[in-house]
Amino acid sequence: MIEPEQTNLNLGFIPLTDSAPLIVAKELGFFSQWGLDVQLQKQNSWATLRDKLHAGVLDAAQMLAPMPIASTLGLGVAPAKVITPLVLSLNGNAITLSESLHQEILTANNIGNVTLPMAAYLLQNVIAKRKSSGLPRLKFATVFPYSCHNYQLLDWLLSANITAQDVDFLIVPPVNMVAFLQNGEIDGCCVGGPWNAKAVRGGIGITVLTSFDIWQDSPEKVLGLLQSWYQKNPNTVLALCAALKQACAWLENVPNRFEAARMLCREEYLNAELDVIAPSLLGSCLTHINMPPRSIASYNQFSVSNSGSINQPELIRGEWLIKQMSNAGQIPLDMTIPIDLIGTIFRPDIYQKMRLLLADQSVQSYYHSG
Amino acid sequence: MATLVNNYSSQLKVDPLNILLIDENVQRAHSITAALDQSRYTISHIASSDTGLLKQVDQFQPDIIVIDIESPDRDMLESLSTISNYNPKPVVMFSSQQDTEMINLSVQSGVSAYVVGDIDPKRVKPILDAAVARFRQFHQLKDELTETKHQLGCRISIDHAKRLLMKSRGLSEDEAFHTMRKTAMDAGQKLEDVAKTIISMLRTLDKGSDHD
Repeated sequence: MIEPEQTNLNLGFIPLTDSAPLIVAKELGFFSQWGLDVQLQKQNSWATLRDKLHAGVLDAAQMLAPMPIASTLGLGVAPAKVITPLVLSLNGNAITLSESLHQEILTANNIGNVTLPMAAYLLQNVIAKRKSSGLPRLKFATVFPYSCHNYQLLDWLLSANITAQDVDFLIVPPVNMVAFLQNGEIDGCCVGGPWNAKAVRGGIGITVLTSFDIWQDSPEKVLGLLQSWYQKNPNTVLALCAALKQACAWLENVPNRFEAARMLCREEYLNAELDVIAPSLLGSCLTHINMPPRSIASYNQFSVSNSGSINQPELIRGEWLIKQMSNAGQIPLDMTIPIDLIGTIFRPDIYQKMRLLLADQSVQSYYHSG
Repeated sequence: MATLVNNYSSQLKVDPLNILLIDENVQRAHSITAALDQSRYTISHIASSDTGLLKQVDQFQPDIIVIDIESPDRDMLESLSTISNYNPKPVVMFSSQQDTEMINLSVQSGVSAYVVGDIDPKRVKPILDAAVARFRQFHQLKDELTETKHQLGCRISIDHAKRLLMKSRGLSEDEAFHTMRKTAMDAGQKLEDVAKTIISMLRTLDKGSDHD
């Protein structure tokens, strides 16, 4: 075992289905097994979670995969070197349209039902019709500018040549997304669980496709921490990663996921019903109140996918995220990106050290039990 | 710099500023409103966090938005100036939690958001003054930086075009510059635009001759 330099930690998270690894590690005692006393600090906005991490109020946090890059480059905030030694989850987002936009799509295209996953071109007639009748443009929401949600929505719309010239975009906090859909403040959104399922259960929207239908197996949430904090507390970081990796491995087993869903329901975590949290964890995408769910085995992925283990922060994934940020026009033209930038943010070297530590521990427990 | 500061303080006296205050705590909201009585700040609206917020921002067109740092609406309000067509507005965040005062340090050079610690009605006016001044200063510096970069870019183009002319036409530096200036005056164009045309034209011609 290693000795963590700092044992009391504040770990930030936003209440979402894919915060499961953090909550499981806490509830099943994985953090304590590694000598850590972790306080999970629920946050309400991504910007505030980020600012608290930069200021050291949070020691580490669950972050959207593009956030450590945005922090390091100083996009939307004063630059701070944030690193990620661990990918916490893949996929997990979906695009949900309001019931009134759903009906508009059926009428405008003269069809009885939409085939899922829905192709974005079905929106073209709606956009054209609204334009010619002088009606307001369609409004789509995501949760944060530097998020895969944003790039996935842009990608899907672009597949039908729909851009910011045709529709409006805004940011809405996940907790308010369903209410915005219901009140007609937005026509569609790309958001993580449990909010898509919540909209479907309430008859408020139709989930037309998941992020897995757009980009297969891309990192969604990562563990973020300051590089300077890692330099002071290398053993704490290894212990933290090891406990979270164990939680991710535990979540691989589908029956365990139902148990995880029960933990997530609680007031101090997601404070939501089991019937909106459990489906995506079990590989079920609720679609519409009058339609059957779709089977998406990789809807939430925490440990292993078809391409193998997912938790190592691969440099190639980071490079790809920078490309998405650049395509979305978020990287100023006069900003030069250092060639080895991703190597300083995505840290597979720390991940590998943690793997050795875990392997060492399992050998030792084998000897002790023998 | 001294005149800059004077400008701000004179602006501070004249412009009335509308504030949208988002606070669940009604009592605190009322005491803040009372504290700002007789000042240039008018609390145009007090809202709690709900779906109507965006409409209210649109309708009231506040000059400043004051919000709790723990509010889920922060991401939405901050993004208004970056991803949509709203004018940038200072978002002043207050924090009643002791430890979040530390955030102040990292947000100081942020784009449009400032953390001010707990919003004590007695201190609220100087806090807003400072936030507005800092916001304006930031945007002025940003504009100046953009302008400087633009000018630098122009000078580089002009120098480049001059060198190309000297090389391809065998002109002296003075002759090359005068040629460009005359072309600009005759065509009623800016010198940097003439420079760019010359660069792209000479490059195209060069490429053509490579193939010959």
